[in-house]
Amino acid sequence: MSDALQFLISGLVVGSIYGLIGVGFTCIYNVTGIVNFAQGDFAMVGAMSAIAIQSAGAPMWLAIILAILITCVVAVLIERSAVQPVRGDVMRGIIVTIGVGVVLQGVAAIIWGTDAQPLPAFSGEKLLHMFGATVMPQSLWVLGTAAVAMVALDLLFRRTYLGQMFRACAMNPFAARLVGMKVETMSLVGFVMSGALGAIAGIVVAPIALTQYDTGLQLGIKGFVACIVGGFGGPIGAALGGIVLGVLEAFSAGYVSSGYKNAIAFALLLGFLLFRPGGLLGEYERVRA
Amino acid sequence: MTSWRIPALIALLVLCAASRSGYLVSLLVVIGLQALPAIGLALIAGYTGQISLGHAAFYGLGAYGAALIGKWFGVPAWLDVILATSLVAVIAWAIGWLVFRLKGHYLAMATLAFGIIVQVGFVELHDVTGGPNGLTGIPPLALFGYTLNGDFVFLPAVWVVTIIAIVCAENLIASPTGLAMRAISENERVAGSVGNNVQSIKRLIMMVSGLCCALGGSLYAHYVGYLSPGPFDVGFSVKLLLMVAIGGFADVWGVLFGVIFITLLGELLKPLGAYDVVAYGVLLVVSVIYCPNGLLHGLSALLGRGLRIVNVGRAP
Repeated sequence: MSDALQFLISGLVVGSIYGLIGVGFTCIYNVTGIVNFAQGDFAMVGAMSAIAIQSAGAPMWLAIILAILITCVVAVLIERSAVQPVRGDVMRGIIVTIGVGVVLQGVAAIIWGTDAQPLPAFSGEKLLHMFGATVMPQSLWVLGTAAVAMVALDLLFRRTYLGQMFRACAMNPFAARLVGMKVETMSLVGFVMSGALGAIAGIVVAPIALTQYDTGLQLGIKGFVACIVGGFGGPIGAALGGIVLGVLEAFSAGYVSSGYKNAIAFALLLGFLLFRPGGLLGEYERVRA
Repeated sequence: MTSWRIPALIALLVLCAASRSGYLVSLLVVIGLQALPAIGLALIAGYTGQISLGHAAFYGLGAYGAALIGKWFGVPAWLDVILATSLVAVIAWAIGWLVFRLKGHYLAMATLAFGIIVQVGFVELHDVTGGPNGLTGIPPLALFGYTLNGDFVFLPAVWVVTIIAIVCAENLIASPTGLAMRAISENERVAGSVGNNVQSIKRLIMMVSGLCCALGGSLYAHYVGYLSPGPFDVGFSVKLLLMVAIGGFADVWGVLFGVIFITLLGELLKPLGAYDVVAYGVLLVVSVIYCPNGLLHGLSALLGRGLRIVNVGRAP
């Protein structure tokens, strides 16, 4: 029983990270129509810069803020240089963002080397014991950050003027342009948000999982699975999808074999794509061939 | 199609083989082996407009399939190549039946998932595939009692298959089905409305595409004699897509150029060490953004513009 609880907790923690990455996907996809295959690399860039700045002697809060800013700048550069020219072209968009991911990984390997690096935990390493399960304090940070980010995003999308513009551009870019919105600017905003979310996800999980130059791809793909499972809509769907995926992974790693963990995640993806492509909360029509 | 290209290609191959350079010949073998899956991918992604990020899996299934069929049933190498290729063609058809309910990014992700699941299978099924340690002792191909051992004898075998594949691909593209393929890539609804069975054409092309990949993979298995899961990962699927993109998507000879270009570039960039990945990625991004019809077209357009500027400059 305590095993199951342990798996559930680690699944929730990993799942919230997938959810955060997944929301980043939707921020970009909704406005540009491009799935950013370099999304996971935002998390890598954020975590690696936080580690580098922190180990250079800066206090943790400063390192985190700077790392998020750096990632946002990277996201803006990517949007302007690589994504803007191929807007709306699915196949070229996929290839270009894969290429961007390759470049980011290569640059990261040159700057920070190929070794996996840790970030110290935000609030000590002392383990907490709850109901027979052991919890790292950092896990609570992950859960809390994810919850706050998701709720804040949901409110942003539904309650603020910026969020309304954002959704308008997502629903119908042409009509949004007609009533005077700058779709290009919204696309930039989408990338900045997505970069910030990716960086936050990468930084908050860095003390638990080691980060190295190529961790991004796996994270990105898992984030996309979370999006699909939850429905390609808003933050709540992605969070739900991430948690389903994370918990399923944790249980299959615990009870079946950790080698098959990835295969099970992708079997879930295939299952959802084929039988419920709109996800748990999404609509069906947009993905049908 | 242009008839001078195949003789020119053969002449080039003979010339390279006549140079007696072992390095050059082994490069040519690698190019021939990778041209098969690249052409396969061009058929489905370039001509039919259906992206796939899982073609490395078909290549890998062909390789492991040939090796395992040879090992289990003791059939001669040429027969296990044929058996494995046909088996993978059936698998590709079935995968097409599954994934072509989707389009765009969802299709990309579904094929990516297929690729990763197969890759995990290669690593985890220790009893069958040997796991991360791989399969060893795959016998070389033998034809008419003559063992194709070594680069110089394997070269003609590989390129005969590759050239046959090129000719077949060109014929397929020029056929009515080929017209339907290109119509589907332009606009699926229009293609369907004039009486094409869109889904069944997509599945058929997926089958042909998987067949090309598996043929390349099974020849690869007999060429290297040793298989590990590494070469069949997502990275190889991306590399294939890059070759197709550099070649200009819907252009068989362009894709062959893409294969040659990427292979040679990989060799040239080796001395750069860690920077090669960056150069590779930048090239990918730049060529896809600025040369939508392939690197050759892009360069010749650039050259044409340069010449025009020079000529205009000279004009009084």
